[in-house]
Amino acid sequence: MTSQDWEVLVLAVVVAVTCALPGVYLVLRRMALLSDAISHSILLGIVLAFFWVRDLNSPVLVLAAGATGVLMVAMVEALHRTRLVKEDAAIALVFPALFSLAVLLISRHAGDVHLDVDAVLLGEIAFAPFRRWVVGGIDLGPRALWMMLGILAANLLFLLSLHKEMKVATFDAGLAAAMGFSPVLLHYAFMSLVSVTAVGAFDAVGSILVVALMIAPPAAARLLTDRLGLLLPLAAGIAAGSAALGFFGAILLDASIAGSMASAAGLVFAGVLLGAPERGIVAEVRRRREQRLEFAVRMLLIHLLNHEGGPREAEENRADHLAGHLRWSRDFARRVVRRAVREGQLERRGGEGLALTPLGREVARHVMTR
Amino acid sequence: MLAEFLSDYTLRVVALGAGALGALAGAMGCFAVLRRQSLLGDAIAHAALPGIVLAFMLTGLRTTPVLVLGAALAGWLGTLAILAIVRGGRLPEDTALGIVLSVFFGFGLVLLTFVQQRAGAAQAGLDTFLFGQAATLLAADVVFIAATGLVCALVTMLFWKEFKLLAFDADYALTVGVPVRRIDLLLTGLLVLAIVVGLQTVGVVLMSALVVAPAAAARQWTDGLGAMVLLAGLLGGISGMAGAAISATGSGIPTGPVVVLVASAIVAFSLALSPRRGLLAEALRRARLRRRHREAGGGRPPVGEEVP
Amino acid sequence: MTQGPPEPAIEVNDLTVAYREQPVLWDVDLRIRAGALTAIVGPNGAGKTTLVRAILGLVAPAAGQVRILGQPLARVRGEVAYVPQRGTVDWDFPTSVLDVVLMGTYGRLGWFRRPGRREREDARSALEKVDMEAFADRQIRQLSGGQQQRVFLARALVQDARIHLMDEPFQGVDARTERAIVDVLSELRSRGDTVVAVHHALQTVPEYFDDVVLLNVRRVASGPVPEVFTEENLRVTYGGRVPFLARGEGPGAPASESASGPALDPRPDPPTGARE
Repeated sequence: MTSQDWEVLVLAVVVAVTCALPGVYLVLRRMALLSDAISHSILLGIVLAFFWVRDLNSPVLVLAAGATGVLMVAMVEALHRTRLVKEDAAIALVFPALFSLAVLLISRHAGDVHLDVDAVLLGEIAFAPFRRWVVGGIDLGPRALWMMLGILAANLLFLLSLHKEMKVATFDAGLAAAMGFSPVLLHYAFMSLVSVTAVGAFDAVGSILVVALMIAPPAAARLLTDRLGLLLPLAAGIAAGSAALGFFGAILLDASIAGSMASAAGLVFAGVLLGAPERGIVAEVRRRREQRLEFAVRMLLIHLLNHEGGPREAEENRADHLAGHLRWSRDFARRVVRRAVREGQLERRGGEGLALTPLGREVARHVMTR
Repeated sequence: MLAEFLSDYTLRVVALGAGALGALAGAMGCFAVLRRQSLLGDAIAHAALPGIVLAFMLTGLRTTPVLVLGAALAGWLGTLAILAIVRGGRLPEDTALGIVLSVFFGFGLVLLTFVQQRAGAAQAGLDTFLFGQAATLLAADVVFIAATGLVCALVTMLFWKEFKLLAFDADYALTVGVPVRRIDLLLTGLLVLAIVVGLQTVGVVLMSALVVAPAAAARQWTDGLGAMVLLAGLLGGISGMAGAAISATGSGIPTGPVVVLVASAIVAFSLALSPRRGLLAEALRRARLRRRHREAGGGRPPVGEEVP
Repeated sequence: MTQGPPEPAIEVNDLTVAYREQPVLWDVDLRIRAGALTAIVGPNGAGKTTLVRAILGLVAPAAGQVRILGQPLARVRGEVAYVPQRGTVDWDFPTSVLDVVLMGTYGRLGWFRRPGRREREDARSALEKVDMEAFADRQIRQLSGGQQQRVFLARALVQDARIHLMDEPFQGVDARTERAIVDVLSELRSRGDTVVAVHHALQTVPEYFDDVVLLNVRRVASGPVPEVFTEENLRVTYGGRVPFLARGEGPGAPASESASGPALDPRPDPPTGARE
């Protein structure tokens, strides 16, 4: 690997981590698709600001783009509030319009914008090492890396200092308002953060793949833990791993780095979705099978308890009755009974009759009154 | 421009094709919008990209039916992936949509750049699928789009009752004996179809707008589902035709953005000016109410009061 | 268990429904008398709606079975009508009142057939029964809550079923609607139909219903109102916190929590609403 490759790799990791942090809250607050909408609409801000300042490196572009993202969120909310369209439709109406306008402007002024449609979709992470930040003759490295590090710092500062507030506003907006800080204000502050992050990442990976970096690693982390405190570092770690994986994949295939990063994020997510120790699909299937048996045992105990001493006891509390009445297969019923007997909760009473042991009665009562 | 339109064979083909697919997307989009699946269309369209490129890589052909088949399969796969992610109940649906949309699209871009490095994908013209290029439509494509549209229309007419009931009250549908899951599969299948036939013209990035916008506009003008579907078809057709005509006359203007802007303008017009639901009508109604209230000698105007 | 025809309209055996690990209904046995009006009563999270939905086949039970008129549900779909809670649908859907009521005929129409003149007449007469005929061509968005409820009721009536399952039909309706629903219920009873309704207002149970099912995850009690709807049973059902004492027994009928005395609930601190 050349030093340029190293720089690209580091940038890829930093971009991914920077996106994943606010992404955690996007996933938790069910606003994942606002990231899609924001990352599309910032393009219009970039293009318009460029026409004004005529300099692609001007910080004005970043500010204008961020502002467009927030403006888009406000437009979606205003449109939704008219009650003429539902919220999902409001999102799906606003951002394509803004994005279309931006793409048209770019294609009309292709010559002087120096932004082409490919860059919009793929980003230019591979070219990042060519744009250096030189201060007083000293080369400090790629500009994009410094910008991204700045945004990362802003993200960390925001999320760490407002951790408590974000937590409350995410899980209980009413309580947040009662506690004296405005969820709306916090929401817009957060949306600004997402917008600025999207602008920084847009440069590197393009407008659509930002979404993959913002959503997939936090979603994977969400499958691994319920604890908010763990969610952020875990999402960041998964993001960094996905970025590195994607980078090497791209080198191997000689394909788009950004696309490869998104694919890697997807792969890692798919792996977690399948194999997560507790919430993974495999674990879920296995547990469900085990649970079904366990659940059936408890149900059997309760069933027996309900009919104990009742007029129909002799009729209900029989092993051969279970298959018909509890909709169990004969085989399954046999397994359930065997397990309950083994656990000392049940005893056979001559032939097909079943009776609770004191332990079984206790368990059944406990389950019922829970 | 009208004279040009009538005399220019290519332009006529392009406008007809774009009109047909706009009508199809608009009509089918009504069900998606009413079922709050506006963003599902976006996910399906983006998810179709790897299918298109893979279909080209495997067959070496770039005829519309081959690529559309690839797109449809990938779109379907994306829909299934969304269901698999949501199934565990740990992740919300919008997260699932976002992941599928961006990851499938990212994978599609990997394949696309991969193809571009090797075989001249420029000649394959696959990148027109990103933002759409109506000028690439051939007469055969138009026939294909129209045939797909007819099939969708026919199926929709046959299952009209079931589609309507599914969109309004799926639980109730189940209790009167409608096989809801199968009807849902059928309706989603039609949506996938309507989306993928439009990708060549409008592009994967913006196709969803053509699904949502005509339906949202049509809803403002009518209170009947049948009328809404027909009107959305008409508005979608107009958007597609106008967008294609404008983009085909200019040089190198991608069609998708133009189509979307036309459709968005129609939406804005409808939201503002529709006689019953429109914002202007609503404002006038409020003003009238306030005036009447004041004339009746009431104190404060009834701010926020519901107007039935 | 009581007098009346030997075959119950609905028979529920050992029904257990669980969402994830959380049981919502535990081992419920139930016989709903044919030709009677039955209320399902219980605290929030007691599984009332789930019971109705399980009877309708809308949720899959973990165990147990439901038989309707002695048959599995699939064979007698046409005999069962459902009135869901109003809030479950989008009232901004582009359709008219008559059109919603016509949906009640879709089951009997079968594939590909559209509602015709006969179905329209049926729908209009169902609207008449709930005092809504003047609204037939209205857009559904323009209805009040009570009117929406009556439209749903008309939709069920047009199904011409013998068993009617209603999820909180009286929830948040105006007096006129309440009257209209009561009239419809008594007409259904006089026709020999069976009605099962999830019901919240305990004080109207004796007036409106013949039978009652007291439910709190398990079936606490069920049977004719005079026998079953007792203070003791209610205490057990509501975990010692009865919102109303039945039939004005005791001096301060509506006074609730303090009147309930020492909690009969074995749980030290009932997690109110936690089960929802």
